[in-house]
Amino acid sequence: MRDEIAPKKIGLADWSTQFRELDDSLIKKYRYYGNSEWGIYLSPPATFMVYGARELRKLKFDNSLAALRLWGFTFTEGERLFRAKQSGKHVIATMGDLGTVPVIVMAFPDCVPFYPDCTWWTPFFNESTVLLDKAGELGAPEASCFVRSTLAAFHKMAYFPKPELLFASTGASCDDYSCIMQMVEDMGYELTWLEMPYRRDHSDYYIGDDYAATNQGLKYAKRFESYLIEEYKRVWQKMQKISRTSEPAQLIESIRKNNRLRRLVVKIKDVVYNAPIAPLPGLEMMVIEFGNLYGYADIDEWLDILEMVYETIDHRAQKGIGVLERDAIPIAWVTPTADPQLLNIIEDQGGRVVATEYVINQALVEIEEDIEPFSALARSFLNASLIGSTADRIRRITEAVNTGRVAGVIITNMLGCSHCAMETRIIEKELEKVPVLAIDVPAPLGITEQLRTRVAAFMEMLKCTTS
Amino acid sequence: MKDITPKTLIGYTCSYIPVELLSATGLRPYRLLHGDIGLSKEGDKSVRIDACPLIKSNIAYVLKNRSRFAALVGSTGCDMSRRMNDVIKELTGIPVYVLNNPRTDNARIYNDEIDWLTKQLQQIARRKFTDQLIAQEITSWKSKREQLRVIDEKRKSTPSLVSTTDFHKACISYYQGALDIPKSLCTSPCDKPRVYLLGSAISYEANPILQLIENDLRIVGDYNCGLSRALNIRIKEMNFDGIKKAYYDQPPCIFKRPHKEYYDHIEISVNELNCSGIVAWTLDYCDQHEFEVQRIEHMIDRPVLRIRSDFSFQNMSQLRTRVDAFTEMLCAMK
Repeated sequence: MRDEIAPKKIGLADWSTQFRELDDSLIKKYRYYGNSEWGIYLSPPATFMVYGARELRKLKFDNSLAALRLWGFTFTEGERLFRAKQSGKHVIATMGDLGTVPVIVMAFPDCVPFYPDCTWWTPFFNESTVLLDKAGELGAPEASCFVRSTLAAFHKMAYFPKPELLFASTGASCDDYSCIMQMVEDMGYELTWLEMPYRRDHSDYYIGDDYAATNQGLKYAKRFESYLIEEYKRVWQKMQKISRTSEPAQLIESIRKNNRLRRLVVKIKDVVYNAPIAPLPGLEMMVIEFGNLYGYADIDEWLDILEMVYETIDHRAQKGIGVLERDAIPIAWVTPTADPQLLNIIEDQGGRVVATEYVINQALVEIEEDIEPFSALARSFLNASLIGSTADRIRRITEAVNTGRVAGVIITNMLGCSHCAMETRIIEKELEKVPVLAIDVPAPLGITEQLRTRVAAFMEMLKCTTS
Repeated sequence: MKDITPKTLIGYTCSYIPVELLSATGLRPYRLLHGDIGLSKEGDKSVRIDACPLIKSNIAYVLKNRSRFAALVGSTGCDMSRRMNDVIKELTGIPVYVLNNPRTDNARIYNDEIDWLTKQLQQIARRKFTDQLIAQEITSWKSKREQLRVIDEKRKSTPSLVSTTDFHKACISYYQGALDIPKSLCTSPCDKPRVYLLGSAISYEANPILQLIENDLRIVGDYNCGLSRALNIRIKEMNFDGIKKAYYDQPPCIFKRPHKEYYDHIEISVNELNCSGIVAWTLDYCDQHEFEVQRIEHMIDRPVLRIRSDFSFQNMSQLRTRVDAFTEMLCAMK
């Protein structure tokens, strides 16, 4: 398929036509948990639209087999989790920390981690306010992050199976989710609370703490590492009680596997963001970045998919072909959009995402392999996006702006989200060398002509300034 | 306020920051509890409009009065409050110290952070905080809290002798670090329905709202920053450890996880004070309290009047009507 079809973004109908050409053996080849009986996930994306993800009919997707696998795999996550439970695996909810606790859970082969937090995309893909309305009925205020849909998902228990353990990370992070996790506990779920300390900036006038730096150069007081180590050891102990297996060597192996994933994503980003013509759309890239959190509940298959993605985009980059125009305007994206359609809209208006800050920096960095595993996890988590200052959070975007790689920045905010409210002005100030557009992501089905016009005007302005 | 001279203030933001340590610097501890529609609108220039009005007001207040603040001690209490420190640091250059206040039960982090804070404050003061100095500060602040407790006891009594409107004025002196707490307030025996106030912070400028509520009701107890929360601090050992223990073991803030102890405390207080209703005061975009209002209604077996505010007084007439209706309901339930 790779060599036969020119890369482009296509809609559901085209994908369905293209899907008919796939050989049966290929469809049977790809399966989650390696299970040939019920693990097949390759379907035309229209299937998922029929089953409820109505927004898919408005989206355009990459036309590669790798992208088909990517969408098929991510959209079967709910099914996968239920299958996992039915087949005797322990389903573990890891909430709030976005990327570190699952590494511990994955060290237990009979356990599957997942992030209920990721339900925040569901109302948008489904073009439905059912979850948001239910969250409101349950007490979540309307002016709060769309992640409140998680609360409703816990209430309905139809989107994922009942987890056997729930790890809830709180502390220096957004308030909305901390409140939602508390409401989940109030429903009767037993949560293990974990503390995420604040990564206090190192100021010249601070005394009395020994400082260290993460592998991304972020400074932190060394004692904070020990706080996290204690928390991760608690996770390990809890997991030991539930799992039949608990070899420390498995944690090392899990770190290695997650590092393989993280390195692969860095390579993919490097190719996609630096190729003269974008070899993969921004929407698929967002899905790829978020896969680092937990490998969409089957890291082995996800790794295999990403190997294929890399092969595809590397091939495209070498041939100088891609899915967007050569003169697409390079932009940076700050804070992930809950509505995936926005990524399509920006590209339709001539933009191209070349740098991102999706509040998951902790899941993108490598975990050290030559030190004690819990220390390594703690040190990797200290790179987290939301536990420190805004300036630290957007440091890589600032670098991209300063080196001229980025012509403009788009920030997608959520009304009432605590960090969006406080960070946007600082980000605008930090990145004042380039135009910044801050958008409030509207509720499902809320993308109006007015919003499209704002985006169009922003992109036109960038075209003028870059030409 | 008139006696404030340049660089004499050390700002702070949270009930978990020991005022005794701040005061040991020789600076006047000034809690950032401003909440005023004018200041809030000024704050819109620094943060988005959907930030909490208390945060916006405090940012604007510090920007206007930056020359008065020698330093600011913040905490990781709520997310916006923590990030407010970043904004102030960025915009004013005032030295900012943010205390890592754990949300979970983790005394080790809190104690380590108080040790860290003490070192920073000693550096600001350019002197070591001796055991004697700390004991003096504990005594001095204990005395202020005792004075407030005397007023609070009158407020709680049956019939209630002091209004929360008046109690709030005395609290302002404490939170602004004034040397003296007003000792005598007019006593006004009151047989209006007794209610308990909880929710977001009561700002210095929010007195008219208390007054409006108390036209028909009597607030005899509260669990709000800006009112009686400081009275929960009871230091037994006259040393650093005593400070740490008293501040850490105070009835928990709503942001602590899990929040069972918070509700236990509220329930006991409401029953002890024989309150017939609850007034839940929340500020716009105050997640910690907005998310909890429904829970409050479920957990505490009393009628709840929800008041949401942005500190403006535009809806005072509607609010008066709602308070009237709530009062009628409470009276009918007697």
